[in-house]
Amino acid sequence: MHSTSLRRTALFDAHVALGAKMVEFGGFEMPLSYPSGTVKEHLSCRGDAVVFDVSHLGTVRVSGTEARVTLDLALCNDLTKIAPGRAQYTQLLNDDGGVLDDIIIWWVSTNVFDVMPNASNTERVLAAVGGDDVTAGRTVLAVQGPNARRRLLEIAPDAAGVGRFRVAPASVAGRAAVVAGTGYTGEDGIEIAVDNADASHVFAAILDAGVLPAGLGARDTLRLEAGLPLHGHELSETITPLEAGLGWVVGWDKAKFRGKDALLAQRASGLSRTLRGFSTSTRQPPRDGAEVLVDGATAGVVTSGNFSPVLGHGIALGLVSTSRPLEVGQRVQLNVRDRRLDAACVAVPFVKKKA
Amino acid sequence: MIVPDDLRYSTEHEWARPDGRKVRVGITDYAQDALGDVVFVDLPAVGKQIDAGSLLGEVESTKSVSEVYAPVSGTVRAVNDTLRDAPEILNADPYGQGWICELEVTDAAQVEGLLDASAYAKLTGS
Repeated sequence: MHSTSLRRTALFDAHVALGAKMVEFGGFEMPLSYPSGTVKEHLSCRGDAVVFDVSHLGTVRVSGTEARVTLDLALCNDLTKIAPGRAQYTQLLNDDGGVLDDIIIWWVSTNVFDVMPNASNTERVLAAVGGDDVTAGRTVLAVQGPNARRRLLEIAPDAAGVGRFRVAPASVAGRAAVVAGTGYTGEDGIEIAVDNADASHVFAAILDAGVLPAGLGARDTLRLEAGLPLHGHELSETITPLEAGLGWVVGWDKAKFRGKDALLAQRASGLSRTLRGFSTSTRQPPRDGAEVLVDGATAGVVTSGNFSPVLGHGIALGLVSTSRPLEVGQRVQLNVRDRRLDAACVAVPFVKKKA
Repeated sequence: MIVPDDLRYSTEHEWARPDGRKVRVGITDYAQDALGDVVFVDLPAVGKQIDAGSLLGEVESTKSVSEVYAPVSGTVRAVNDTLRDAPEILNADPYGQGWICELEVTDAAQVEGLLDASAYAKLTGS
């Protein structure tokens, strides 16, 4: 880590003007919450629509006739399963099959890919796939929630119609954008990339359309309710996608990709640990690092835990040993700062998108 | 930040409202704002004896845990049970309905050792 000053997105002043509480995240100063508060922001995303500034995510643009082949060698998912104009979730693995980063790729046009790593991992992804780091020049807004499309209809009809995991050029509030039907909340939603010069205008138009701004606090509780992994918690250099229950991300049919041999070996020998969901009966938030106890014996560790605003009690994801497989419904305890919280193993996602 | 004139304050961001031998205790507006939305309050047991500066309970937001310390020594005589199911009251009304507990003080003079409103306002830059 450098001890250089924190980076700011093009919307920093707008966030401050809205009264946001700003915190360091991935080397950026980002909104943790706005005056409405994390819980209201969370519930608005489940019931209406919110907008996140996610410009701290990196964008590495990989272009050229060899771009797809390069990406398919470096990353574990299989781009031949999709096509230009689509998006894909994928991961950068190390030789041991551990996850160096998890990534969304927007296949913008035939030979142009926008590879979007987590903020703090942008440099290692850039080193692995090449291309140009264009993070500093663009702004990415995530409009999420069951009413996201309806709210965008007036100011961005093209964006409002983009399909799930589709990528398309669109005009948003009169400005050129690339939009995708992607997000990290478990809700329907649209992500919008615009030049920094257009960021304030587009952000203001989205707010004027009745969309509530939301910060990283809500982003984290939303992704947890949806059972979505966060790098550094459910995924890390020492956790493989198979252990995290993300075998579908692995392009087994590809002849070669980094980490494949290790994953093949792990698949053959069986997993020693696996990710499970837990639900508590009280409001006390389970926290990462809490032990998972089965009949008083350590069976694993919580990787993320919090209060679920929708359910009204604690929820957690944890990596547990497969030596005594945990079934849904099984009683466990989570040892949170020396207090044992009664919990049950439950199916993930904790909160499902309304049909 | 609101810092009522009629309360006393600890450097750990608790407030104390003396009333004879009883002192009502809570956390300050500054503290609730720093925490963000409170989702869980761990209340002390009624009858518990506690020394000034010892752990009285915990207040948790989605983002962090904050320990609450006893501003003065005493015995817990009442707790605010409303916070068990509606901890958000602590954000909305930290000096009123968001109180945490009442202590019967061991030594009323300890209250005089706490900060007054202007000293606390200075501490927090309010």
